[in-house]
Amino acid sequence: MSTGSSVSPQAGLSASCEIRIANNLSEIARVAEMVDEFAARHQFSNEVIVALNVSLDEILNNIISYGYEDAAHHEIAVRLALHNGHVEATVEDDGKPFDPLAAPAPDLTSSPREIGGVGLHFVRNLTDEQTYTRRDRINQLRLIKRLGQ
Amino acid sequence: MKLVEAVAEDVTIVEAYGRIDSTTAREFGDRLVSLVQAGRGSLVVDLKNIAYISSAGFRALLIANRAAAGKQGKLALCGVIGEVKRLFDIGGFTNEFVICPTQADGIGKLRQ
Repeated sequence: MSTGSSVSPQAGLSASCEIRIANNLSEIARVAEMVDEFAARHQFSNEVIVALNVSLDEILNNIISYGYEDAAHHEIAVRLALHNGHVEATVEDDGKPFDPLAAPAPDLTSSPREIGGVGLHFVRNLTDEQTYTRRDRINQLRLIKRLGQ
Repeated sequence: MKLVEAVAEDVTIVEAYGRIDSTTAREFGDRLVSLVQAGRGSLVVDLKNIAYISSAGFRALLIANRAAAGKQGKLALCGVIGEVKRLFDIGGFTNEFVICPTQADGIGKLRQ
């Protein structure tokens, strides 16, 4: 349960870090800490930090709350990788197959206002690319966030 | 997340600090609802020191808003700025709440 981190010797052209958390909501705070540290080291804008933190909170909350059909301990891996001009966040879990990108868009005008679906709506709007794959019983979601200027 | 509360006569001001996310939304929402149910029906919630609010936090705010309305109270938000403002806009929440620029504006609005 350690936070791995490796920095390229080539002055920050690429870097990555990874954390593995248990399927417990309180563990999400550790992911936010990793995001904040990685973002500080690479001088991400506040917009990028908020986009990553909110998106990961929504994805991890979904997985931990609805992704498992047993009450057993599971691990979820979260990786951040800095590439040329964008950061990639990857989340891998061994829960039941679930493609969050296939979820319907929420009705933002319903009255009374419904909250269902807003979390994934945030993910789609705060990140630039999203890719879901299911392989070897693992859900993998990749999010790309461009770093802008 | 941390909550700092102050009472200005008939209005309770709640300043929130940090993240309102899956981990902290329940504590945040429970505190707002318990203030409403204790008869503190007029609440100004200041979000200017919040780093971000995720959908779990918006759910808590909607529940507190409805609880206040159910007690003939009112809830006003202030400090909805920067990235937090953007999240309100993306989520379509801007028209769901009474939003004022500052605490003083919020207090004034609730006393109208």
